[in-house]
Amino acid sequence: MLNLNDLHASVGEGDEARPILKGLSLEVPAGEVHAIMGPNGAGKSTLSYVLTGREGYEVTSGTATLNGENILEMEPEARAAAGLFLSFQYPVEIPGVPVMTFVRTAMNAQRKLRGEEEISAPDFIKKAREVGGQLNLNAEMLKRPVNVGFSGGEKKRLEIFQMMMLEPRFAILDETDSGLDIDALKTVAAGVNALRAPDRGMLVITHYQRLLDHIKPDRVHVLSAGRIVKSGGPELALRLEEEGYDGVIGEAA
Amino acid sequence: MATDLKSIIPNANAAELELVARYAMRGEDPRRERAFSAFAASGLPHRRMEAWRWSDFRAALPALEAPEGAGAVDPFSALSGPLIEISASQYKLPSELPAGMRLIERADADVFAPAEKMPLGALTAALAGRKGAPASLVIEVTEPVAEPLRIVARSDRSEANIARITVLVRPGAHLDLIESHLGGAGFSSYLLDLTLQAGASATRTLYQIGAGDEAQAITANVEAAAEARFTQTALAFGAKIARIETRLTHQETGSHAVLNAAYLAAKGRHVDLTSHIRHGAEACTTRQLTKGAVLAGGRGIFQGKFMVPRKVGQRTDAAMQHHALLLEYGAEVFAKPELEIYADDVECAHGNTCGALDGDQLFYLRQRGIPETEAKALLTQAFVTEALESAPDLAAEILRAAAEAWLLGK
Repeated sequence: MLNLNDLHASVGEGDEARPILKGLSLEVPAGEVHAIMGPNGAGKSTLSYVLTGREGYEVTSGTATLNGENILEMEPEARAAAGLFLSFQYPVEIPGVPVMTFVRTAMNAQRKLRGEEEISAPDFIKKAREVGGQLNLNAEMLKRPVNVGFSGGEKKRLEIFQMMMLEPRFAILDETDSGLDIDALKTVAAGVNALRAPDRGMLVITHYQRLLDHIKPDRVHVLSAGRIVKSGGPELALRLEEEGYDGVIGEAA
Repeated sequence: MATDLKSIIPNANAAELELVARYAMRGEDPRRERAFSAFAASGLPHRRMEAWRWSDFRAALPALEAPEGAGAVDPFSALSGPLIEISASQYKLPSELPAGMRLIERADADVFAPAEKMPLGALTAALAGRKGAPASLVIEVTEPVAEPLRIVARSDRSEANIARITVLVRPGAHLDLIESHLGGAGFSSYLLDLTLQAGASATRTLYQIGAGDEAQAITANVEAAAEARFTQTALAFGAKIARIETRLTHQETGSHAVLNAAYLAAKGRHVDLTSHIRHGAEACTTRQLTKGAVLAGGRGIFQGKFMVPRKVGQRTDAAMQHHALLLEYGAEVFAKPELEIYADDVECAHGNTCGALDGDQLFYLRQRGIPETEAKALLTQAFVTEALESAPDLAAEILRAAAEAWLLGK
C-alpha cells in the first residue's frame, strides 16, 4: 500500500531550506492502521504535507509509492485522485463556498481524473445525508461555507465527513484529536473505524495516546528528528504515555 | 463649422475633432451648449486631471474608428419585459410597456446639472439623439413594476454609440433596471439620469464588456429623495478603456443606497469603477462593496468618494469596501478610497485590500482533488460574487454564471 523509503525532505526555499525528514522509511500494508507518534518538531506534519504535495515541502531524496505508483511526481490533485486523503490539523476556511458544493466538486473532479462518471445530484445528497447523520452534522451546517464559523470540533468532524464522502484508498489523519472533547472524539473515531477496510490503509498522526484508545492501530511508530526511531505494536503507545518520549527515544538512540 | 468651434478644444486629437463636428451638426440648444462647453473645457479626460489619472481617455481614443468586431452577446436575453436597444446612437423602443411605465420623447435636450464634474456625461448630454430623432427619452414609472426594464447598448462595428436615458420614479413606485453595455463601437458613451422621488425604489443591474479596441463610458447621475431606496450592482469586464462612473446624491432624509460591483480584467482590459456619493441630507445610509480580480496585463481601478457636508450630513451611516485579487504577476490594481467628512455625528467605515489568492486555501482544494485552474476559479468566484448578491435574484444568477464562465476561460 504506502511505501516510504529513506525519505529526505526540507521545508523552505534556497538558503532558507531546512531539512526536516532525514531518512524516513515506513510501510503501511493495505487493511492496516498505523500510528505515528512523536514530540513536537519531529516532522509529523511535514510528513503529511510531503506526502500530499504541498508547495514549499521539497523531497531531496528517497521514494514514496502508493500501490506501487510514485506519488512524489504527481500534482496534489492527482495524488487525491489516486486515493490519498489528508485530514488537516488546521482545516482551512473557504468563505463563499458551501460545504455541499465543495465536496461535490471535489468528488466529481476526482472521478473525472480517474475517468469515472460524475455522481448524480440525488445520489450525492442521499449519501451526504447518511454520512452527515453518522457524524451529527445536520443539513443546515452542510449548506454553510466550508469551515466558516465552525468550532474546532465541528471542523474536525467536517474533515471526517469529507473523508467518508470521498472514500479514499489511503487516509492520513494529522492530529485529528486536537480540539476535540471526548464525545466528539468518539464520534470521529467511529467514523474512522467505519472506514476500515481490507483494501484501505490509514496513517494516524498524533501527539497523545488518547486517540488510539478509540482508533486501535495495528502498528505504532515513533518519529523523532525526521526518522522512525522505534516501531512496535499498540503497547508502544501505552509505554510512551507512561515513560514519555525522552524515555522511549533515549532507549532507541 | 465655425472657426471658434474648431478651436474650442486646444490641441484636439482626431477623436475630439470628430466629436466637435458631431456637436456642430446639432441644432442650436442652450442646454446642449452648456454641456458641450463643460466637456470642451477639458476635452476627452486625461491623466493630468486628478479624477482621471489612471483612466486616460484622450490617450486611449486617438480617433473615432469602428472596432473589428460587433458587440458581445447579451446574457439577459432570456428575461422578459420591455427592452430599449441602443445601436450606433439610435434607439429602438419597445412597442408596449407594462402598466405603471410611460415613455416620453421630447424634442429638447434635458439639462445635465453635474456637467462640469462629469466631462463624459456632459459630452453625452451634448451629443445624444440624432437629427430628426427625439432629443431626450424619459421613462416615467408611476407604480411598482414587476417586469424589469432592459436597456441594451450594442453596436455592430460603428464608430460611436452615444445615448442618454432619463428615468423618473414617482413616489412609492419601483423599477428594476437592467443594462447591458456590450460594445461594438469604437466609442460608446451612455448617460443615465435617475431620479427617485420620496419613497421610490429602484435596482440597477449592469453588465459591461468591451473589446480591446473599444472605449466605453457609462455615466450615471442618481438623485434620491426622502426614504428612497437604490441598489446598483455591476459586473464589469472592461475594454481597451472602460469607466463606470456613478454620482449619487442623498437629497432628503432617510434615503438608502447600495452600490456594489465586481470587476474581472483580463490581459489588455482596463476597467474603472468610480463613484461619488454625497450625503446631502440627514440620516441617509450608503453601503458600497467592490470586488475585483485581475489577470496579467489587466488593470482595475477603484475610486470611491463619500462626501458628508457639515450642516446637512448628520447621522450619516456609510461603509465603503474595495477588495481586489491580483491573480497573476503583472496584474495591476489602483485604488483611491476617499472619505470627506465634515459632520461630527456620522458613522463612516472603509476598507481596502489587494493581494493574491490564499495559498492555504488553494492547497486545501487541490488536496481534495480539485485541479489548480478549477480551484483558483472557485476561490476567485466565491471572492468576487459576494458583490453580485445585491442584484435581483434572476439577474444575480445570470451575473454569477457570467463571472464563472470567464474564470473557467469559457
